Amino acid sequence: MSPELNELRDSARAVLSGAGVAADEARAWPSLVELGWLMVATPEESGGLGQGLAGACAIYTEMGRALATAPYTSAMLALDAVQQSAREDRDAWIERMMAGEYVAASLADASLTVSSGAVNGDMAAVPSADKATHFLVLSDAHIALVPREADGVTVNARQTWDKTRRLFDVGLNNAKLSPDLVLAEGAVAANLAERIRAHRDFALAADAVGGAASILDITVEYLKTRSQYGRPLAMFQALKHRCADLKAAATAAEALLFGALDRVEADTEVGALALLGKKAKHFACATYAAITEESVQLHGGIGMTSEHPCHLYLKRALLNQHLGRAGNYEVDIAAGALRG
Amino acid sequence: MTTADPKSEALRAEVRAWIKANAPADWRAHMMGTGQDAFVAGQRAWFKKMVAAGYATPHWPKQWLGGGRSLAEQKVIYEEIARADAPRLILYFVSLYHAACTLIECGSQAQKDEYLPKILDGEIWCQGFSEPNAGSDLASLRTRGERRGDRYIINGQKIWSTMAQFADRCLLLARTGPSDPPQAGITYLLLDMKTKGVTVRPISQITGDDEFAEVFFDDVEVTVENLVGEEGNGWAVAQTTLASERGLTLVELNQRMRASLWRIIDVMRQTGADKDPAVQRDLGALIAKVDASCAVADRYLQRRIAGEEGAGDASIVKLIYSRTLRDFTKLGFHLSGLQGQYWSDFTRGGSQETGNWAVDFMNSYAWSIAGGSDEIQRNIISERMLMMPREPKNWKLTGDRP
Repeated sequence: MSPELNELRDSARAVLSGAGVAADEARAWPSLVELGWLMVATPEESGGLGQGLAGACAIYTEMGRALATAPYTSAMLALDAVQQSAREDRDAWIERMMAGEYVAASLADASLTVSSGAVNGDMAAVPSADKATHFLVLSDAHIALVPREADGVTVNARQTWDKTRRLFDVGLNNAKLSPDLVLAEGAVAANLAERIRAHRDFALAADAVGGAASILDITVEYLKTRSQYGRPLAMFQALKHRCADLKAAATAAEALLFGALDRVEADTEVGALALLGKKAKHFACATYAAITEESVQLHGGIGMTSEHPCHLYLKRALLNQHLGRAGNYEVDIAAGALRG
Repeated sequence: MTTADPKSEALRAEVRAWIKANAPADWRAHMMGTGQDAFVAGQRAWFKKMVAAGYATPHWPKQWLGGGRSLAEQKVIYEEIARADAPRLILYFVSLYHAACTLIECGSQAQKDEYLPKILDGEIWCQGFSEPNAGSDLASLRTRGERRGDRYIINGQKIWSTMAQFADRCLLLARTGPSDPPQAGITYLLLDMKTKGVTVRPISQITGDDEFAEVFFDDVEVTVENLVGEEGNGWAVAQTTLASERGLTLVELNQRMRASLWRIIDVMRQTGADKDPAVQRDLGALIAKVDASCAVADRYLQRRIAGEEGAGDASIVKLIYSRTLRDFTKLGFHLSGLQGQYWSDFTRGGSQETGNWAVDFMNSYAWSIAGGSDEIQRNIISERMLMMPREPKNWKLTGDRP
């Protein structure tokens, strides 16, 4: 990590830990806008901080650690799409979005069809959609922004077990694609959509890496404090070895993610980028889920209570596993190797 | 961003070209089903070439051929050897790393002058550390070294000594003083394996190979010139020995494992399992895990180069590798089905990637047991990294349950 990235990560960690776990979204969003976190990945020539995907992932990791509620990932995906478009008014949009205008992107794949200039289909898992001015729409051959208030757009809140994020279904029923808001079309759109999906994979991986580190710390600390049979639980080898395995897995997930980010350059071919992202996402989210599953067990009864944060991590981790691409990551990763 | 400095890349090209021109061709086929003699001859020939090219001793000090390389350069050499699937210098590992690094850091000038050139000439060293009752708990070793005049008289037994049957010399830990604490009273000696009273007995392994041996000492005499460091300070010297390979081996082994993933795909194609989505999932998960293990080893070495290594870091590298290697070999063995259960011969010196899945699977235990078992690594990670308290040192059975 560069010194700039380290500094950014440290300051994000300090701010987020000050605000506390799963801090209120209404306060978290203005704060992250003010701190310039939406500017992290945007190139300097467009007024950003120029830290690229690695910079964004440094923030995602910290947000994962703090179970952040603000729809930062979603906003960053939309920003990335706008940034990579060839629109003339691109920088004006970037400025608005970096200043806090929320354009929302889905955290899951959607199958959308475009015909006669209108889009149809349902987008699932759009975070904080009620706060968005526009939605990022990705289809096979079109990438566009659709205003939330446009005709044919419906927004429905969904109750999720994960209480650290507010997800919505966004229905698109013959919603017109305004030429002013089309970011890419044709083969360019397909390529860009894949880049956005890869970005989303990296974001989910980073969220998982941060969350896994955090819940493991909490669990180990708990085992050091709680005593039974006249000794701290942390002294029992049966528990120590499980924690050691979790620590090793968390370290591996982090190494895979940051090792992959080290390989990503601006001109990395989209297929290679996607494969790196899939591996990082699959491994980190599976690891996060396994660590949170164990953390509830290692906490014993208190882990089953709503007052302890254990369950917040568990539910976020399990949701993360199912966000991202449709289909199966392991099969996707294998497919590349079987073709080669 | 990837930091490919021009100096490393020049070295990479140089090593790659050299290996292409010099590495033994088809060595895997030649070593298939051979006896130890052919293996030893193959290792000797390859060692000689590697030494002459300076690639066997990049970690030695500058005055030695090829020596004085940075850790980053050593990594490049290892990566290229792994990439080309050239043979590992298994027979010389203890000589080049354990013996040489111990001599360089702790040996007297006379010992360095005597033994380092002989290592380059092909002298083979083995390690005399573990004993039947001193494995993970190495400090409890009981082989006696009794000082008589200008020599030590050694009696006892060592075990799990890799390639000891071919060794010219041995790095020997013996107890010369009281064992309280157990680390005290251990002395580090250099032993000529041809000395009267030394008996070596190869151990037949579950694979049918015999890479390890037991070594028995019956009134074996070692002169005091062969004492390393001071009498009773052998434990500290032994730490130098064990730290000598500095993470490079695991970088290399991880690269070899990644380069061998095609063997899983190969067996999938042979059995038609490549069409089975459940097996595809296993493969995808394995690929990601292998990549993660490689990334852990790479990042560890980067941290070492930057001087940022922390307590327990090396244990994580080894634990992740050993578990991943087990997964890798287990999947291959499982996919090979009934065919995999029929005995077939194997490539001697082929490490854990011979493609004989039964042998590779069984050999994977070498990495979860030797060099600090997984259980020891978990102790280190939990106690030194997560700072979980050690278990009480003294225990007593109470109650009526034994």
